[in-house]
Amino acid sequence: MFLSVANLTKSYQTGITTKVLKGLNMELGKGQIGVMLGPSGSGKSTLMNIIGGVDKADSGTVEVADVCVTDLNDNQLVEYRRGKVGFVFQFYNLIPNLTVAENIEVISNISKNPLPLDEILEAVGLTDKKNRFPRELSGGEQQRVSIARAIIKNPLLLLCDEPTGALDSNSSRGVLTLIQNINIQFGTTTLMITHNSAIADMAHTVYKLRDGKVAETAHNTELIPAERIEW
Amino acid sequence: MVLRKRIRRILLENKGRYIGIFILIFIGSFSFIAFKGFSGNYERLINEFAQKNMQEDVSFTGYEQIEDISSLEQETGAIIDTHKYYDVPLHHERELRLISISHKVNIPSVITGRMPKYPREILLSPNFYDTYGYEIGDTIKINDDMFEVVGTVALPNYVFPLKYINDVIPPPGFGLGVIATDDMDVFPDAVTVYTARFTDRDNVKAQVTGLYNSITQKGLMLSEWMDASANKRIRMAWATISGSKAMSVPVPTAMFLLCCLIVGLMIWRMVRSESIIIGTLYAQGYRRKELLQHYLSIPLMVSFIAGLAGSLLALPTIYPTIKLMVTLYYIVPFDKVVHSLTDIVLGALMPVIFLGLASWAVIRKELAKSPAELMKGDIQKAKVNVLERTLKLDYLSFNNKFKVREQLRSIPRLIFLLFGVMAASFMMLIGFTINNSMTTVFSSEANTSFNYSWEYSFKEAKQGTPVSGTIPFNAIRSHPEGRESIEFYLTGISTDAPYVYDLVDGKGNELSKEQVNISYLLAKRLNLSIGDRITVVNKLDGKSYYLVIDGIAQTYAGQFIYMPLSDFNELIGMPTDSYKGVFSKATIEYSPEELSGIKDLKNMVNSMDELMMPMMMVVVSLTIIASIIGVIIIYLVTSLTIEESRGSISLLKVFGYRSKEIKRLILSGSSPFVIAGFILGIPVMLISATALYRYLGEMINLALPMILNPLHAVISFTLLYAVYEFTKLSCGRKLAAIPMSDALKAGME
Ligand SMILES: Nc1ncnc2c1ncn2[C@@H]1O[C@H](COP(=O)(O)OP(=O)(O)O)[C@@H](O)[C@H]1O
Ligand SMILES: [Mg+2]
Repeated sequence: MFLSVANLTKSYQTGITTKVLKGLNMELGKGQIGVMLGPSGSGKSTLMNIIGGVDKADSGTVEVADVCVTDLNDNQLVEYRRGKVGFVFQFYNLIPNLTVAENIEVISNISKNPLPLDEILEAVGLTDKKNRFPRELSGGEQQRVSIARAIIKNPLLLLCDEPTGALDSNSSRGVLTLIQNINIQFGTTTLMITHNSAIADMAHTVYKLRDGKVAETAHNTELIPAERIEW
Repeated sequence: MVLRKRIRRILLENKGRYIGIFILIFIGSFSFIAFKGFSGNYERLINEFAQKNMQEDVSFTGYEQIEDISSLEQETGAIIDTHKYYDVPLHHERELRLISISHKVNIPSVITGRMPKYPREILLSPNFYDTYGYEIGDTIKINDDMFEVVGTVALPNYVFPLKYINDVIPPPGFGLGVIATDDMDVFPDAVTVYTARFTDRDNVKAQVTGLYNSITQKGLMLSEWMDASANKRIRMAWATISGSKAMSVPVPTAMFLLCCLIVGLMIWRMVRSESIIIGTLYAQGYRRKELLQHYLSIPLMVSFIAGLAGSLLALPTIYPTIKLMVTLYYIVPFDKVVHSLTDIVLGALMPVIFLGLASWAVIRKELAKSPAELMKGDIQKAKVNVLERTLKLDYLSFNNKFKVREQLRSIPRLIFLLFGVMAASFMMLIGFTINNSMTTVFSSEANTSFNYSWEYSFKEAKQGTPVSGTIPFNAIRSHPEGRESIEFYLTGISTDAPYVYDLVDGKGNELSKEQVNISYLLAKRLNLSIGDRITVVNKLDGKSYYLVIDGIAQTYAGQFIYMPLSDFNELIGMPTDSYKGVFSKATIEYSPEELSGIKDLKNMVNSMDELMMPMMMVVVSLTIIASIIGVIIIYLVTSLTIEESRGSISLLKVFGYRSKEIKRLILSGSSPFVIAGFILGIPVMLISATALYRYLGEMINLALPMILNPLHAVISFTLLYAVYEFTKLSCGRKLAAIPMSDALKAGME
């Protein structure tokens, strides 16, 4: 399996101990889209951060493309994130004083074989807005910039944490279509987090996170195009 | 108000920054009070001394005695007194100028001990007394007599105890000894000096001229006429004190303005980032005044404490500084320091006013918005400023683009960095430059290889062929027409032998002795080039002469015009072969009655080292202060930059940027501005130093060349840049401390 997580546990200490992940297992095949469903506070972001190498698990393993992420030290994690992972966040996280093109360049600047900027801008439909600053764009457009930024290095794994969480339904549909198209065009393995179950229809695999574990895994035989998702 | 608890927390969270601001304000207030207190008190001491002890307005020596002094006094409204002086060599190369006590003008003031009461008692100048460890009761053998030391003394006409009027500092080993008039009689060759002070203190200058005219009309021949306003023994102290007084303004102002910029910036950022809180507080009934108070309290508190601390701690430095100065440099009686309450209040309150106004101006606008507007948090979003928007950076590499954008993000921050570095480099460079100018002049004098060892001046002009092995000269002390503060000797020298030392022009070619040659510094001061005409006025009799400059001598030693002796004599209407002095390689035994002075040319420059010490100390302390300021400014800017870029830094970490790469992107973008600040500091320094030098020139007839040694510029720059790199390095920890969760948790835009 391209991505496999085994017996992952994680807890936070804030005076009291909050166990967030309690022996979580999951797998995702190469080139597939996975959607993780779960209520707010269930630990989705925590899981995603561990897979992405920005947080550390207490125990258990995460393997991505035969690399055991949970074994890596801080420097190796930097290289792992740099080389293999693309991130898309709920609140876009664009750098406000960089233009659209420059925000994307933030990533191409450190990747070995970045895709051509123009091609990416074309793919996300922002060619004519590449010299704008983030605050001059709508939420949906900003999220598209953030997707462009995530995929320009052609990552092995694309992690999207509630990418539509801050968007209205129309913009959401556009963003999801974009993610689906990228998956088809580049074969990027994608793990997407959401608390919106309607999105599940566009995924190859759907996980339901409950009580710190994956309670349910479903495989869709037929994928619904993202533009047809109903809210 | 509960809000007050936050103040402590805010101060603690940003303690590095507030400490930096504290130090800048402290330096500002400290230097204000120290310079002001020093110069104010010293000025007072000198004034009181001049007034109480009847400092001369003019002194003169004549070829014959003035018989009827009292009628001259009545005629001119002057109090005229006489004293005698005589230089005696002591053992160990020491030398005392014995001066007889006068009672009407230039009355000596006993500092320690008592006035001479019995025969063979002597008061010493405190510099001499201290340097050689004399004690009251010691005896000094002068010729064959034993004099008993009865104390130390200050003389109004020797505030700066120069041996020769054109010396830069008193030669080593030289001191003053005040003795009773009767004791002076054992030195038959003592010179009689007339001194005069006018009772009417208005328009002294005109009265001096009047006195001169009265004397010359009586047909008395004067050999020396020294106006107090051109007398370095009297004026030098003034120059230093006004210089120090002038310094009491720009340094603190620069510090306070820098603090205004940075504090304004910090408070503004705080208020903006807290706009939602502010809006909420408004909505719940807080008044604008209360919030204004809350945000102003931090800058007001910090500036008040720093200003007060700086002012108060500066006070105890005044006494020892003056004490040292009155003993070793400008000798006046010193009883106590008078502190000016106004100054202390100013020192403490100025920064409060500066910073209070700056902060108020900055937050007023934000606080004026409606609660609804504030709560929307709209203004929290990073706006893109004009520069960022208009600059087209497409041709740059991403890294450079990023760096440029990072720097342009906050223009006030950039200005602060630029001005701060400018101020720091200014201080370093001016220290070096002053030192440099002094060194150049003195080493130019020291390295001059004199063709003669001795200069003998005669009381009366001689005629005919001088003693063999000597070269005759004739000179008048003069000033250019209309500029009395510039004083120099116009000297005619025999063309038969080399000059006192060899003079070359700008190309290194030896200057012809058959022409009129002016020294470089004097030419520069008068703005003269070859072929220009100058009108020279004889200081003694006011007659003026026209000269055309033929050559400019490349030397930093002194201000002079040399011309052939015969031409000179013709010009001033003397017989062509007359001369008033000779230069000589060997000592010559002239009879003491003939001589008015002997100068040891080679020993003139020995005093250089002593002058260099305080200069070096000034440079070193300026450099240290400049470095501290540099560190603080760069630290403040760097820490603000990191703070403002928290989001970006965190994000870059998530994306897999290595810490070195992040550091380079975020921090090294300021390098060009550090360099630009330094470069801007150079012209600012040159302009200020030129003004300072011109001022010194007017005050004490001291001409200094402005030389910025490239090596010193390189040293200053290296130092500053090292400070910058070091500060960046130490801020690396701050960078490392920013967690990735910042980016993961919330949206930035
Ligand atoms: N840094 C942290 N410290 C303490 N508790 C945390 C931290 N991050 C997350 N949590 C807690 O862990 C749980 C899961 O959080 P998260 O993974 O963000 O949930 P989700 O993304 O599913 O909404 C929550 O209860 C949250 O309060
Ligand atoms: Mg989450």
